[in-house]
Order: sequence, then C-alpha cells, then structure tokens
Amino acid sequence: MSEQNAGLKTAPMQLQVIQERQLSQHQCWSCGDMRAEHFCAACGHMQPAEPTDFFSFFGLPRKLEVDEAALEKEFYQLSRKLHPDLYSRASAREQHWSLEKTSQLNDAFRTLKDPITRTEYLLNLEGIQLEEQSKVATEQARAFGVEKKQTVPAELLEEAFELNMMLEEAKAGGVDDDLRAQLVATRDSLTARLGRMQDELRAAWKKWDNGNRAAIDEMVDVLNRRSYLSNLVRDLQEVLS
Amino acid sequence: MAYSDKVLDHYTNPRNVGTMDKNAGEVGTGLVGAPECGDVMKLQIRVNPETKIIEDAKFKTFGCGSAIASSSLATEWVKGKTVEEALAIKNTDIVKELSLPPVKIHCSVLAEDAIRAAISDWKKKQA
Repeated sequence: MSEQNAGLKTAPMQLQVIQERQLSQHQCWSCGDMRAEHFCAACGHMQPAEPTDFFSFFGLPRKLEVDEAALEKEFYQLSRKLHPDLYSRASAREQHWSLEKTSQLNDAFRTLKDPITRTEYLLNLEGIQLEEQSKVATEQARAFGVEKKQTVPAELLEEAFELNMMLEEAKAGGVDDDLRAQLVATRDSLTARLGRMQDELRAAWKKWDNGNRAAIDEMVDVLNRRSYLSNLVRDLQEVLS
Repeated sequence: MAYSDKVLDHYTNPRNVGTMDKNAGEVGTGLVGAPECGDVMKLQIRVNPETKIIEDAKFKTFGCGSAIASSSLATEWVKGKTVEEALAIKNTDIVKELSLPPVKIHCSVLAEDAIRAAISDWKKKQA
C-alpha cells in the first residue's frame, strides 16, 4: 500500500485519478487486498455499496436456472452480516454502505427468488421493455393505418373476455352449487395450464442458459400469455373464497 | 396513486357500457389486451353505411380504473365521427384528457388499439 502511494506522488494527475479509481474497484478500501463481492477476503471489512444488477449482487451469472434454496440461504447469511445494527458504531460511510447494501439485498432477493419476476428482470436487463414495445407497435399501426397485431392469440383474448363476463355475473348474481362447481373446475384447469406454461418457461431458461438468445422471444411469448390466465385464477379465487 | 377527477368520473359513471351483435354487417368489434397487466378491452362501433359516421359505440373492459376510463372516453370520442376521423385519435390525446400518469399510459394505448381493431373489423366486413 505505502509503495503504491509513493509511486502515485510522482505520477501525473490524470494517471493518479485512474489508479485511484482502479483501486476503489478492485481492492479493499481498508487493507488494499483484492476485494471480494461484499467483504474483503483478507481483512473482512465490508466493501462499498455500488450500483449493481441483482445477479451480480449475489455473485451469480446472468442465468435463469437458480438454486432457490441456496439463494435463500445466501440471503439470510448476507442480511445478518450486512445488518445496519452491526455498523451503528462504524464510520459514517460504512453505516451508509450497510443501509444501501441491505436495501439492494432485499430488492435483489425479492426479484430473483420468484421464477416470473426473475425472468422479467433478466429480460429487462437484456433491453426488453414489454410496455415500450407495445407502445411502439401502436405507433407503427397508426402510421401505416393498420390494426395492431396482438401479442397473444385472438382465442386467448376471447376466452379471457368470456371468463371475465362469467365472473362478473357470478359476483353480481351470487354463486349457487352448480356455478361453484363450474368455477372450481375452471380454476383447476387454468391452474394446470399455468403449470404447463411454467414448464415452457423452464425449457426456454435452459436454452438461454446454454447461450441461445432466441430463447428471449420464447420467454416474452410465455409471459404475455401467462398474465391473462394468472389474473383469471386470482379473480376466480376471490369469487370462490 | 390517486386517480384524476376525470378518470374517477368515467370509472364510477362509465359511458356506453354494453355489447352489440358482432355478426351484424354495420358493426365492427375490436378485442384487445395488455399483456403487461392482463387487462382485456372490447370496443364496438356501429357505422352508418351511407355516411360512414360512427353512430353508436359500446365497450366492456376488464381492468383497472384507468383502462375503464380510457375505453369509456374512447367510445364518447368516436361517436359522431367518421371512420377516418376516428382513426386519427391518438393514445396521447387520451393521456392528456384523463391526466394519466406514466404507469397508466398503456391503458390509453389499449384504447387506441381497440378503436383501430374495431374499425379494421368493420372494414373487413365491407370488402
């Protein structure tokens, strides 16, 4: 450390700035050792909070097959080690890092533990903005004077519409035994379909994890279809409870 | 997030809720969805064959207050317009009228899609 500092004194200003930046990125602020993700491997000091994506925060590659049990274990371990209470007597910047990292940790865990939000997050990282795509498609349809192509099959929209109508009638008119049986059967078949979509999604994950970018389109397609069914299952559940 | 007064007005007192016979020659039906939130919107128009003026419009939307308000407003706006005039309605006009916040812009997009889909369905029937 002292040797490096001696070298820096004679270095031109600009080089010094660059070297300091490299130091902050790759070395422990406290002991100068090569830093690990959150704590220095040599001296154990917490490292600065930095903007990072949620996969990197957990030291994970940008892949979708995630060991969720291991992730949860890592989450609890890190929450204990980063907890602001542990830093109440540390320097102001360490207190700040602890708060910052704890908040990143919670966001990262909440997003990555769930298969759907994890997939959506990865798509976002890869520059896929579903809402933006939809807006652009509408603008193109307007410019060319054509109808916008819907992202899901027309039959699925018809089905979602009809089921919503049925649900609305059930809410207004009450649910007798026959209707209840029908609603339960509908819920169960929709839940089974959601399960099959989960399988489709997992198949696309495998492709992505093996470096096949075409998997992105498949994931977008599954997520688009999925939202209608998951809304219906949620609403059916509400009427049945 | 609070809804604007205009959204609340359309939401609590939606205009032109209902359905028309989708097989009728003068009726155009648009059924569209927003995969971001799973909302579904149906908008129908009845066009006068002589004047090409949209004489009636109905909608039925399953979704949030902003989606309902956007489609309610869309039916109000298309009524009395010719088909070509109705095609000029932009989602940004709806955003402005209802003071929709950025997170609800997709609701206005959906309403524009629905108008365009209904008109396209009607045009197919005229061919």
